[in-house]
Amino acid sequence: MGLVSSRHNSIGRATRLAQLGAGLAGSYLAYQLQRPFLNERQNSERRHALGRKNAKQIREDLQDLRGPIMKLGQALSMQTHLFDSDVVEELAGLQMQAPPMHGTLMRAQFKSAFGENPEEVFGSFEPEPFAAASLGQVHWAVTKRGEEVAVKIQYPAIREAIETDFRMLRAVGFAARMTGHLQESVVREAERGILEETDYLNESRNIQYFAKHLAPLAFVRVPKVHSELSCEQVLTMSRVRGLRMREFLKTNPSQEVRDKIGIGLTRLFFFQLFRLQALHADPHPGNYLFDHDGSIGLVDFGCVKYLKPEVVPCYAQFWSREWVHDTELYADIIRVVFGPNVSPAEPRVRRCMNEIRRFYDEFHPLTEPPTALELADPKFMERLNELAKTLLKNKFLSPEFLFLSRTESGMCNLLHALQARVPTTQIAREWMPPIPRIKK
Amino acid sequence: MSILILFDNKLGSCLIMSVLIFMKRSREENKSKTKPKGKRDLNKEKTKEKILAAALELFRRNGLDGTTTKQISKKAGIAEGTLFNYFKTKEDLALFFFQKETHDLVRWYGKETRLQRAPLPEKLFAIIHRQLEYIAPYEEFIGAVFFRSLQLHSKLSPLSLESQELRLKYLRFVREVLAQAEEKQEIPRIGELGAYAVGLFYIGIVMHWLHDTSRGKQKTLALLDRSLSLATGVLKKGAWDW
Repeated sequence: MGLVSSRHNSIGRATRLAQLGAGLAGSYLAYQLQRPFLNERQNSERRHALGRKNAKQIREDLQDLRGPIMKLGQALSMQTHLFDSDVVEELAGLQMQAPPMHGTLMRAQFKSAFGENPEEVFGSFEPEPFAAASLGQVHWAVTKRGEEVAVKIQYPAIREAIETDFRMLRAVGFAARMTGHLQESVVREAERGILEETDYLNESRNIQYFAKHLAPLAFVRVPKVHSELSCEQVLTMSRVRGLRMREFLKTNPSQEVRDKIGIGLTRLFFFQLFRLQALHADPHPGNYLFDHDGSIGLVDFGCVKYLKPEVVPCYAQFWSREWVHDTELYADIIRVVFGPNVSPAEPRVRRCMNEIRRFYDEFHPLTEPPTALELADPKFMERLNELAKTLLKNKFLSPEFLFLSRTESGMCNLLHALQARVPTTQIAREWMPPIPRIKK
Repeated sequence: MSILILFDNKLGSCLIMSVLIFMKRSREENKSKTKPKGKRDLNKEKTKEKILAAALELFRRNGLDGTTTKQISKKAGIAEGTLFNYFKTKEDLALFFFQKETHDLVRWYGKETRLQRAPLPEKLFAIIHRQLEYIAPYEEFIGAVFFRSLQLHSKLSPLSLESQELRLKYLRFVREVLAQAEEKQEIPRIGELGAYAVGLFYIGIVMHWLHDTSRGKQKTLALLDRSLSLATGVLKKGAWDW
């Protein structure tokens, strides 16, 4: 290992992060100092302007740093309950726009990973990336046989950058770990997930798995991997047609199409959860491509969660809520969600479970026949945010549920953006297996 | 009278000698500029390259210290005495290697019209990456040369007279690249300091590259990319802006 490298990289990244922190602290301090001299309107305007300015600064710096720190920003952009809309909008810009590698670096990286230049490997190769995200960027190309493909190229030494960032995260998050708000198992799970995303051979195995097992859902399109044109850091896949959410909504799809896609997304989620027990767990909008015929293209299988067998029936219980009358079952759920050493009688546990029950009673009632959920209703997102806040406050943090809730909230955000009407309860029941007892 | 005084003075005699050497050199340079290379010169050049190719092959196999001049002359198919006519020592051979490398770099950059229009971080990345690609097949040899260049009496030392010409050629080239960026106001005017900084940075990068065991030396690529973006960013902003 290069002695200088790890130091330089970590010092460089730490400096940028420290700068970012200092910058934010500085601007808040300036705001606090000015505050007594501002009237209410000025105060609110200044606060919003500060929020926007900071959000922009955060986005720009996270983009430059790429890697997991940028991923963290992406994850935060989905936490609409935690931030002002200005901040969320800026952070949403992180979804697909890291500064791309310049042409020379991209070619150097491709050659170092693949042994040849892209122009030698493909019939034609688009040097400008189509999208650049936190861990790599995507170029359009045509194979020598004439097939249109998307080529994903990873940033150099991103694994080392991830390890550095997590070292820093552990140091910075020391206090949060001590208070129990951030469990080491959660950090470990996040690190494992992100590191796994850097292995494109693993991703190509995931694609093949999902292509095979999602076959019963004819409306879902999954890319085909070109294994001979892929390696650990270069992944070549067939092009998947469709528009990203933002562009799709610009085409003014009818309510019928929105509902069809909404139903498709929901079926996709529950099919993965209850049938495959594996989730495409990177739900940012750029990974879903929509078409007016109601079909859904699913791309980017870097982050896939194969769930533990006891988690799925436990989650299914949120929908059937049999635990309300079954103390033994309730204790089993608590053991899975909170860990074996937490008593079901603990007040924070009760608070979490009551909040979950209230939320599901309100939006997914057990009445027959089940009603369609109006996802355009702002009350739904509001209540979902409240639920997330309560769970976070009460340390409802299980590494298994981390990916599950991330995917679910990502799906809710998509459905909300679509303003679709979806009979969620009916769909959930369609795929839900007869609920087995949770294994001890 | 004044000339005699100067001659009595040791410093003066050194100065005059330097001026004479400089005049002789520039006369030779002018000669070579005006006169096209004859067949003899071309043959000489060919032999030098043949020797270098043989030496590099042996250095790769046996290392710099493990290779003898006898082995080099045998591999190049020339008499050992002839080898000394071209290169007095193995260090002269190494200097010739770097002369060729710099010459190749300048000529390559001159042809890269797209790169000449690219932003400064990409230009510097491409230049340093090109240098690394050139030396890549001879990693062990470069490592040995690097440590030898740290010895003051070595011809490869950055302080030796023999390496000055090569060093200046490289610095002039980098200076021109930076001057273009200054003109386009990509960076503020930093003058010659910039070229020296890039020169030193390159040495640092080579040292890192030598230690880099990552696949395809990707850590070096990342370090090169990030440091150049960071340095250009800092220069552009004038200072830390927060």
